[in-house]
Amino acid sequence: MANDKNAGSGKLGTFGYNALALSIFILLWTIVSWISESLFLPTPWTVLKSFLDLCTYGDVEGISLGMHIFKSTLRIFAGFVAACILGIPLGILMGLYPRVYDSTKSVIEPIRFIPPVAWIPLVIVLLVGFSRYAFIIWLGAFFPIFIGTLLSVRSVNPTHIDVPRSFGAKRLYIIRKIVIPSTLPDIFTGMRVGMGIGWDCIMAAEMIGGENEGLGVMILKYAELIRIEDIMVGMIVIGAIGFFINEIFIFVERRVFKWKEAIVIS
Amino acid sequence: MAGRKVKIEVRNLSKHFDDLIVLHQMDFDIYEGEFLCVVGPTGCGKTTFCNVVTGLLPITEGSITMGGEKIDFKKHNVSFVFQEPSCIPWRTIWDDVKIGLEIRKVPKKEINERVSAILDLTGLTEFKDFYPSQISAGMKQRVVIARSFVTEPDLLLMDEPFGQLDSSTRFYIENQLIKVWQKTKRTIIFVTHNLEEAVYLSERILVCTQKPTGIKEEVIVDLPHPRDITDREFVKIRNRVTDLVKWW
Amino acid sequence: MTNNYAEKMKTMGLNFFTLAMVLVLWTLIAYWQKSPFFATPYDIVLGFVQMVTVGDVEGYRLWSHMLHSLVRVSAGFAAACLVGIPGGLLLGLYPKIYDRTRILVEPIRFISPIAWIPMAIVLLVGFSRYIFVIWVASFFPIFVSTLWSVRQVNAVYVNVARVAGASRLFIIRKIIFPSILPSVIGGMRISLGISWMCIVAAEMIGGQMVGIGRLILKSAMVTRMDLVVVGMISIGFVGYATNELIIFIEKRIFRWRAAVSIE
Repeated sequence: MANDKNAGSGKLGTFGYNALALSIFILLWTIVSWISESLFLPTPWTVLKSFLDLCTYGDVEGISLGMHIFKSTLRIFAGFVAACILGIPLGILMGLYPRVYDSTKSVIEPIRFIPPVAWIPLVIVLLVGFSRYAFIIWLGAFFPIFIGTLLSVRSVNPTHIDVPRSFGAKRLYIIRKIVIPSTLPDIFTGMRVGMGIGWDCIMAAEMIGGENEGLGVMILKYAELIRIEDIMVGMIVIGAIGFFINEIFIFVERRVFKWKEAIVIS
Repeated sequence: MAGRKVKIEVRNLSKHFDDLIVLHQMDFDIYEGEFLCVVGPTGCGKTTFCNVVTGLLPITEGSITMGGEKIDFKKHNVSFVFQEPSCIPWRTIWDDVKIGLEIRKVPKKEINERVSAILDLTGLTEFKDFYPSQISAGMKQRVVIARSFVTEPDLLLMDEPFGQLDSSTRFYIENQLIKVWQKTKRTIIFVTHNLEEAVYLSERILVCTQKPTGIKEEVIVDLPHPRDITDREFVKIRNRVTDLVKWW
Repeated sequence: MTNNYAEKMKTMGLNFFTLAMVLVLWTLIAYWQKSPFFATPYDIVLGFVQMVTVGDVEGYRLWSHMLHSLVRVSAGFAAACLVGIPGGLLLGLYPKIYDRTRILVEPIRFISPIAWIPMAIVLLVGFSRYIFVIWVASFFPIFVSTLWSVRQVNAVYVNVARVAGASRLFIIRKIIFPSILPSVIGGMRISLGISWMCIVAAEMIGGQMVGIGRLILKSAMVTRMDLVVVGMISIGFVGYATNELIIFIEKRIFRWRAAVSIE
């Protein structure tokens, strides 16, 4: 409950404990895997070696880890950008004209509840190559961004709109200077959530989609060969990229929305 | 005041937060059944004072004893009316008022009797099934007062309980508080920065200094209830307290 | 009041109109295309009837697919609640433990649950594969929201009980638990959404022949697009129904909270 803030020494302590926890974990892992000598429990060093091998020699088909990462991120990026380009303006528009959304709910809502992953087989049949992945990511990221924007526009504080209106501001001015800035934090949150879902979807799409490149298909290939250490490398890389992207979002949010943080502190 | 039984002894009380001295060597007694007001400037450590007296925060130096013992929630019967709204949102008025009795494992029958009685006294009976979010701020504060009195506390601390109310609601609730106090004769420490309120309610006023907080002087208010704020005596005492406070 | 009613009817009418327009357009395009890849709404209705009465290419009927998916999700979800809620409560009450071992927990959070599927395929068999993947998918939202909400319990409510002499157990049961419950259920709702996505992926990749995800994939393999769409609609419907169920429970439990929005 009480979030007691310790002084400088406490901070260092927390860091130290974390380092300790990590080393104990790795030590235990090493010991257990040595004792068990199981195919299913590689030692940390085997995993590290696999990582280096994947970087330098590539996987069973000679595709390097870098290539897999590049392919996955490129697909995510394309789908995500498309989702932003469509989701944000559409969200703002439908937020400003609630009638439109209210009258088309019967079409939008059912689509929202179909998990994007369920679209993959349909997409495999209808589309080819890169566009398959981009479409799935687009679908996965679109709804969080769109709905986040829409709800945020609807909940803009009416007083904030009345202020420029009382000065005789035009509609466009209000949208540009009031509606957009006050919805921006929510749009950003929607983007972060959308990116997370996109990241889930790309994994599934790559596993099912049939091409040989991409992190998802890489770990599935190794699953068929029962090479746990390579699967682990893939998972760690996936986690690291996910973490990194999330950090970028948080960093930008903190920089852009300083005014928001001031509210939190007080 | 001589001849009254001492209830709580505060001796040489100090409280520090790291290097910051908030309370500095406070020394006073509280009598049995007394209505004591503590007034001081905003930010002088009144809330810290309350938290220390009730034992929510540890003491740096000195002692606070009730009947010769250190105050302990498990042994002593203490109630606290917090400055911030403290109605528990997921409990109905009835359940909220009975929480102290529930904690002390009072038999169900007695709980029902005591809660009904206090709700009657505070005029909340018809709202007993409402949730805090459904009633006004003034009513919420009445709920908190009812909740504090129902346990028949040995000591009741009130930390600026009416700070957020409008003045007419405040008068109404102040009168109700006096009524409940006269009926139950509990010991009350009432902390406020509103001088008129202090003179209106209390038997004795402790005037505090700016941080580090100590006691500057005590003023006896020997007027019968209900008091009239335009009464000559009343105005005289209020002016006296105001003079003391001007040095803030 | 009547105005409000008229407004509602109008919105409903417009919704029907939009839906009808989309269906008509869809049918027209499908006819004009005459492609085996493009099922008409009518085909889908026929496909639905076939799924209910006869079953898919292997004879599994729709309800059997739905039941399998539902059982898998429920089992994994229940397991995630059983571990996530007490775990979050414990680490929320002792924040030092969490702060000092974060480095072990936090990285796992960022591994997409779907990336666990290959691992589950290697290490586990049959039913347990699905449960494990769903467990991983739904654990973190539940765990993290429980943990954070414990840290954010309003200290005044805790102090009210403390001053009255409450024991630690009383405070946890009567103060902390009720006040974190809304965010715990919020976390559960997010988890459920992620679970429905993951079960589809797990069923497509996982090898067993039954489950809505598998129905969609195997129908696509034989280009029975009508059945693909039936599967997609079914999964959407089940997801919607379970989401509504949680909202319904939320409204029932949190009457004290619903009142806030009325005010």
